[in-house]
Amino acid sequence: MKKTKTYLHNPGYLKVELMLKGIRVDGKVLKKANLDKCRDVANITCGLDIILPHNTWVTVPYADDFVNDSPYELIESEGKFFVRGGTESVNVSVVPTPKFYRLKTTTGISLSKIGIVHGGHVAITPATQCDFFNKEIECRYCAGNPDIKGGKGKTYSVEDVLETVEAAYKEGKAEIVYLSIGFSETPDGGIEFLKPYIKAIKKHFNTLIAVEALPPKENKWIDETYAVGADSVLYNLEIFDSKLFKDICPGRAALIGRERYLNALQYAATIFPNGTVASHLIVGLEPIESTVAGIDFLAGIGVVPILPLYKPSAGAKLSECKMPSTEVIAPVYGYLYRAVTTNKINTSWVRDISVVTTPLEGRFFVDDNARMQTFIQNFYKSKLGLKTAWSLATLRRKLRVKLDHSD
Amino acid sequence: MKVQIDKRHIWLIIILKSFRPVFFLAVGLIFFYLINLPTPDGLTIQGQRAIALFVVCLILWVTGLLPLAITSLLAIVTVPLLGILDKKETYALFGNEAVFFILGAFILAGAAMHSGLSSRIALAIMNRFGNTPAGLLFSIFFLAAVLSFFMSEHAVAAMLFPIVLEIAKGLNLRPGKSNYAKSLFLALAWGCIIGGIATFLGGARVPLAVGMLKEATGINIDFFEYTVMVFPTVLIMLLIGYFWLTRFFPSDIEDIHLAKAVFERRMKEIGKTGYMEYAVGIVMIITILFWLLFGKSLGIANIAIVSVVALFILKLVRWKDIEEYVNWGIILMYGGAITLGASMEKSGAAVWIANAIIGDWTNSPLLVIAIFSLLTILLTEGMSNAAVIAILLPVGIGMASQFNMEPKLITYAIAVPAGLAFCFPMSTPANAIAVSSGYITTKDMAKAGIGMMVLAWIVFNMTARFYWPMIGVKF
Ligand code: SF4
Repeated sequence: MKKTKTYLHNPGYLKVELMLKGIRVDGKVLKKANLDKCRDVANITCGLDIILPHNTWVTVPYADDFVNDSPYELIESEGKFFVRGGTESVNVSVVPTPKFYRLKTTTGISLSKIGIVHGGHVAITPATQCDFFNKEIECRYCAGNPDIKGGKGKTYSVEDVLETVEAAYKEGKAEIVYLSIGFSETPDGGIEFLKPYIKAIKKHFNTLIAVEALPPKENKWIDETYAVGADSVLYNLEIFDSKLFKDICPGRAALIGRERYLNALQYAATIFPNGTVASHLIVGLEPIESTVAGIDFLAGIGVVPILPLYKPSAGAKLSECKMPSTEVIAPVYGYLYRAVTTNKINTSWVRDISVVTTPLEGRFFVDDNARMQTFIQNFYKSKLGLKTAWSLATLRRKLRVKLDHSD
Repeated sequence: MKVQIDKRHIWLIIILKSFRPVFFLAVGLIFFYLINLPTPDGLTIQGQRAIALFVVCLILWVTGLLPLAITSLLAIVTVPLLGILDKKETYALFGNEAVFFILGAFILAGAAMHSGLSSRIALAIMNRFGNTPAGLLFSIFFLAAVLSFFMSEHAVAAMLFPIVLEIAKGLNLRPGKSNYAKSLFLALAWGCIIGGIATFLGGARVPLAVGMLKEATGINIDFFEYTVMVFPTVLIMLLIGYFWLTRFFPSDIEDIHLAKAVFERRMKEIGKTGYMEYAVGIVMIITILFWLLFGKSLGIANIAIVSVVALFILKLVRWKDIEEYVNWGIILMYGGAITLGASMEKSGAAVWIANAIIGDWTNSPLLVIAIFSLLTILLTEGMSNAAVIAILLPVGIGMASQFNMEPKLITYAIAVPAGLAFCFPMSTPANAIAVSSGYITTKDMAKAGIGMMVLAWIVFNMTARFYWPMIGVKF
């Protein structure tokens, strides 16, 4: 039998490997890990949340067919879990399915439909609708989800969302609430829609909020996004190369434009705290050199590049595109780490994301201890750190935001 | 509501924001320092405390970091707490006649404005005399002044502003460029300012000064007496003001028939004179006659309040209608200033300060008047005219008794110039309203205003020197 190369002893490599190849896992092990339930909004978000050494979170596919070819397997011995690759194994923790996934809102909606936990974040899309699908200019890699397609999106009420956040908060799964919105043709990029949700969450919980929206037409909406209570903002460019951007993201290119993305990100970086403005660049959908150029550009304007891996989704127009290999990807994450540290971007915000390699995890690819950054990040993950982060964010907003009541 | 993000360095913002708590802490420390100093010779312990409180109020009134009314409330509660006066006496001072006169004047002016009477008079006069650029300018200037004899100059400025703005637009005058537009808006502001010093009604500051004088010394100035004393100043300033305006901003238009259209349209809008306007007009005339003829015997506040009651009995106004015209902040501010002034006087602090600060370097009453009027006219350009009175009058009254001078004279020397703020928008609401039009800039106003300020000081002192002795005033 051909020996497959594994990366068990480097959490950065291992995370990429597991995201790309998935993991084999026996039903009995799943039961022991208290993972008998998968989030039921299609299977696109279905995965095992595993904590690798050095507190590296990863969501690993285990239910898809391709995992049968994975060199990795999750095993259990005496109550401990291991990822085994070949003859070697590494001790990991398995994050049980959040208990609140089993609960329903008072209006009868399953909380797992509204909020999904990735590491320390709960991600919520209050309106599961993207108008790009209606205009047939959706992003080519996007399969949407059953709620999104056909413009028949659902809108969860503020109360439904609050109940979800409350449940996640009680379980300690809402260090950061990640609110996102698909495309809607309003000049504010969706922030007016998200406003009541942000306000309600801020009113009831001492938690931080990240907003993934579209770049608004005018910068005043970015000010508004910060003022209303968002602590972090993401305008996801996805593709840096201008031609490929047009081809792969026709809706974003036609209705917003690459220039506006870059300008809005640059402006947002002057409004939000260091390290809290981010943009996705999908690795694998454009040449690596172009991703690297994107990293340089974004880091240069104070924006954190987040590099999700391209994964073909069934139903998407680009579903045939091949996934890149770990060997191709690894240097990009190393480069990302160097870029953010050179540009003195705070790495403690983008952390514990299980579905993407964070900039600080890039240190595993360049053999850097990053002691200081890891210490700071670990502090912010502690109870005291969370309180400190929330207090500092609130104080900063109080100091920076001026409301002119003259209108 | 507009959102703005302060992008300055966070440390700079923190330093700037911490200014407020640091400032109040410093004020508190100054207060405790003054209270705990050994009591100087010639000053009672109550006097020392009154001075400490006065210094705190002075700082707060000058900086405006607390609303004027709130500083006054602070003064009212602190006077009995420090044992300067007892509780009963302190709160009784708040019920001063001047406070009720101001309240009555606000309501009467509110009724005149609400009924539409004041707008009708304004439009009729402008329509009648505004046939040439000079005539229109003259009618706005004198109308603003004359209306300010009878109602608060701020209310007059606010009432005439939309009409003048419409005239400027109707004449297609260019904002910031047209000389004629500049002169129109300055005529509005200066007319109100000059007219506002003519009677007790032009601004509540005169009743404030009179109330402070009465509480501190028991001496009263009545409505008629005041007007007789200041009228030459008003008249001369109106003539100088008109001359100054036309020389400073020579007219750059010839035809004003478009303004006529504005008047006609406005007149049409308000329709024919109604019962309300007649009735309110009659009540106003009777009230003013009573003030002039029986002010001394019946008391001006009593007359004002009786007229207000009459307005309500005749159902000419409803409480809801006049509520917006009653400036409760000013009423609170005045009550507090009167209380503090009286406590300075009664505790002997005012005389002690006058002695300590001015000492023996002057012994001429006219020089004292010149100095106080100069101080007042300079201070009033930068701060609220009521605050200037609250600060200077207690010391002034102390000075007067030091020189065996009639305290009334020092009251005039402060109360009249306190209203003559010509230079800046922050000096008085009439100026602010004029600048808010966009037709005149702060720079224009300051340039033209400085000359007016100097002239006003000279005219006031000349009146004191030559006219007052003619009507029997002895220095
Ligand atoms: S914006 Fe693009 S990626 Fe997001 S839901 Fe719409 S089509 Fe999909």
